[in-house]
Amino acid sequence: MPESSTISEEFLRQLTAVGEVDILVGVPTFNNRDSIERVVSALQVGLTKYFQRERCVLINPDGGSTDGTPEIFKNASVRDFSMLLTSNPLRTFHRLSAPYHGIPGKETALRTLFTAADLLRAKACAIVSPDSLSITPEWVDSLVRPIYRENFDFAAPVYQRRKFDGLLVKGLVSPAVAALYGRKIHEPVGTDLGLSGRLACHFLGKDVWEQDITTFGMEIWMTTTAIVDDFRICESFLGPKIQAAKQYGQDVAGTVRQVVGSLFRCLDEHEPFWKGRDTCEDLPLFGFQYDVALEPIQLSKRRIMDTFRSQVDQLVPILESILAPQTLVEIRNVVQLADREFHYPDELWVKTIYEFAAAHHHSAINRDHLLQALPPLYRGWVSSFVSQNQKADAAKIDQKLEALSHDFERLKPYLIDRWNAEAGGER
Amino acid sequence: MANDALWYKDAVIYELHVRAFYDANGDGVGEFRGLTLKLEYLQDLGVSVVWLLPFYPSPLRDDGYDISDYTGIHPAYGDLDDFRMFLEEAHRRNIRVITELVLNHTSDQHPWFQEARSSRDNPRRDWYVWSDTVERYKKARIIFTDTELSNWAWDPVSKSYYWHRFFSHQPDLNYDNPVVREAMWGVMKFWFDMGVDGLRLDAVPYLVEREDTACENLPETHGVLKFLRARVDATFPGKMLLAEANQWPRDVRQYFGDGDECHMAFHFPLMPRMFMALKLEDRKPIVDILQTTPDIPDNCQWGIFLRNHDELTLEMVTDEERDYMYDEFARELRAKINVGIRRRLAPLMEGDRRRIELMNGLLMSMPGSPIIYYGDEIGMGDNIYLGDRNGVRTPMQWNGGWNAGFSGADPEQLYSPIISNPVYGYQAVNVESQRRYDHSLLSWMKRLIRLRKTTRALGRGTMELLAPENHHVIGYMRALANERILITGNLSSQAQAAELDLRQWRGWIPIEMSGGNLFPPIGDLPYLLTLGPYQFYWFRLRRI
Repeated sequence: MPESSTISEEFLRQLTAVGEVDILVGVPTFNNRDSIERVVSALQVGLTKYFQRERCVLINPDGGSTDGTPEIFKNASVRDFSMLLTSNPLRTFHRLSAPYHGIPGKETALRTLFTAADLLRAKACAIVSPDSLSITPEWVDSLVRPIYRENFDFAAPVYQRRKFDGLLVKGLVSPAVAALYGRKIHEPVGTDLGLSGRLACHFLGKDVWEQDITTFGMEIWMTTTAIVDDFRICESFLGPKIQAAKQYGQDVAGTVRQVVGSLFRCLDEHEPFWKGRDTCEDLPLFGFQYDVALEPIQLSKRRIMDTFRSQVDQLVPILESILAPQTLVEIRNVVQLADREFHYPDELWVKTIYEFAAAHHHSAINRDHLLQALPPLYRGWVSSFVSQNQKADAAKIDQKLEALSHDFERLKPYLIDRWNAEAGGER
Repeated sequence: MANDALWYKDAVIYELHVRAFYDANGDGVGEFRGLTLKLEYLQDLGVSVVWLLPFYPSPLRDDGYDISDYTGIHPAYGDLDDFRMFLEEAHRRNIRVITELVLNHTSDQHPWFQEARSSRDNPRRDWYVWSDTVERYKKARIIFTDTELSNWAWDPVSKSYYWHRFFSHQPDLNYDNPVVREAMWGVMKFWFDMGVDGLRLDAVPYLVEREDTACENLPETHGVLKFLRARVDATFPGKMLLAEANQWPRDVRQYFGDGDECHMAFHFPLMPRMFMALKLEDRKPIVDILQTTPDIPDNCQWGIFLRNHDELTLEMVTDEERDYMYDEFARELRAKINVGIRRRLAPLMEGDRRRIELMNGLLMSMPGSPIIYYGDEIGMGDNIYLGDRNGVRTPMQWNGGWNAGFSGADPEQLYSPIISNPVYGYQAVNVESQRRYDHSLLSWMKRLIRLRKTTRALGRGTMELLAPENHHVIGYMRALANERILITGNLSSQAQAAELDLRQWRGWIPIEMSGGNLFPPIGDLPYLLTLGPYQFYWFRLRRI
């Protein structure tokens, strides 16, 4: 049930005026003036084109932007629908922008949206990132249709990414979720997704909103919760994902800590579920898949490798508390390898992650300290992966990632063993 | 009757077919004598104008719009004396009469056409539009797409093609010929001399043809109308011309000219959008069309309606809107005809009294003179199993007895079967039973019409649309001199709250017009109203 404190009186008044809706699209923002107009226009055209008869509302929970984002959101409009090969909307198109209460952050924005979905009795919702420069009106169809027409509860995005983009997801989160939760989800932390009103209300009713888990890891929490609570899940192909330059970017280390930390907390919460899963299923994939030529990500391999080497040496005392002795030995061996032979084996990478997960579960050391020790190792794996696939095409890279995913599945019993071991016992 | 040249601006018009109203001589077809007997009913209903569908001699291949004699009465309906008596009685009851004038075309049985086709040398040959080829006027669309393949038809008598924008048995008159204009003026003069108060000019956009044009709304057509209007003003001040032009408002606007063409014109695009708004539960379609409706000269007026003798036309909507309307209002394939839906108001509203009332409440308060289609005031149903649009032209249901009180003839003799299903049949829906109860639809309609007539603001006033955030609620202010009428309606099937920005009328008190109750005065804060499902209010604002 919604709590009155999660939304302002003014926002409630706006919701009252909207009444019941079929589709709710939410765009949480914070200083996104460079991209928000394009996103709003694409959503408006998409809703008009694909859901012309439905009652729709576009909601912008804003975390206190100082760059005029809410004003741009409210004023962005499509002047001539016919030029966009669609007709004028049949219905009033509602756009609400509301600063949300509480601590600014994604979880508060999503809580606001879920509360709105509950109050408006939305049948289908979509949440769209405000910085997607590659958004098209078709995203609305791809995210909403599986929910609204095909009765799925959760539609995770599938993006065409630039080469070496999203390696944290591809090389860690996605294969880990597949191996542990039994669902092959390409983007378990996707920021553009569809969900049913039923699921939105389910999320809202969860007793997690004051906990850390929602602070930095809403996407992974939503994905895994939808799996664990047996909601119907699918994927939708959205095409390329190109984001606006971040106003103040998070560094890689911070991202790794947040995303992996959230995943580990989910593992704690869902322990009975993932321990009992021994199969992995593909999900229905909606949308016409296509490839466009995208510029590869430019990574400074040398810098990443050097960081890995120097930081591992510094972190040995901490890593000894986290990793099995053999694993640490092997990592230190990788550190010693010459550039040309540099290779962080997949199996070693998977064991690294699983040992971190188990150590996190046992709180072998302070969890923040534990998570701070992971980014250097991630850099080592990234450096190795990039070196080995410099000339590989997309298909070849997919094959490598598929093999990695199998290693995550194959070594799941290893995780369970370490998970079940006494804290501080033989590792 | 009051001598007011702008009488049509305050009019509540009642549209009927003589054939369908009352059969006094028991031959199965209504006639003028029967209609005259029922004028008391119309007076009691409160309407101020009767618009008669075509009653002229005709082969009746297009329900009388194929006229074979402009100055006669079809024998089934009586004669000119009967008409004169009807007219006199109507006027005695302060009811004005509008009749049809089909300017654009005649029946192919009209003597004018018979003469014209008889030889290429006939003096009336040039009264119609002829050609040796079908290649002329290729840009003109075909209107009756269900039945016609071309706007040209072959005449085997004179061995040439003649032009027709409607059915092939309705040849278009040639308004480039001044003699035709004079002849048609003669027809108008005939009826105005007799006392008719106004003429509905059928299919006016198509009077003149020009190569490389759509042959619609041409300046030459407006020239013809200005010519006729000037004659009317000079000879019959106070008489009214009503244009039938199923066009977008900006195009229809031209038929008012500078107040020197037609006095009135139908607002066709508003009608389907009222139905659409109700189904969508969203005021947007109505607001959109009203916002694109241009201002008209002070001496002009829109004619607005919910249903009429034709299909609910969907020509003036987009493809998506048309699909939506078909899906929502014509799920039965038989309900579709041409580019529209052949249904009456009550079945379109699924018999929901609240929706019927809301639609009438909006109709009676929007800018224009409202037109009620006979039978809709009692919620009559239709019969989509009859051909063409005959399903909405069935006999008026006067009571629950023999032939619904319409005729004493054998039921098989009636010009059309009476609606007899359990929901809309004459046993359930009829004037007599509804007259007995204050809460019947008929009684309610009477009250609504009377209410409208208490203020001129609804007929002549300006309109200012309000924009409450709640899109289910429509609101507008009608104003004339010191009068302010606030209209609010809930288009939704659920109760709604709406806040109206009425600050410019701060200190005024809304008085609900049907009951006379005072509502809280308007202050600085948004004025909060709650409306039940499909509920509407008319408020008269009074300055404290």
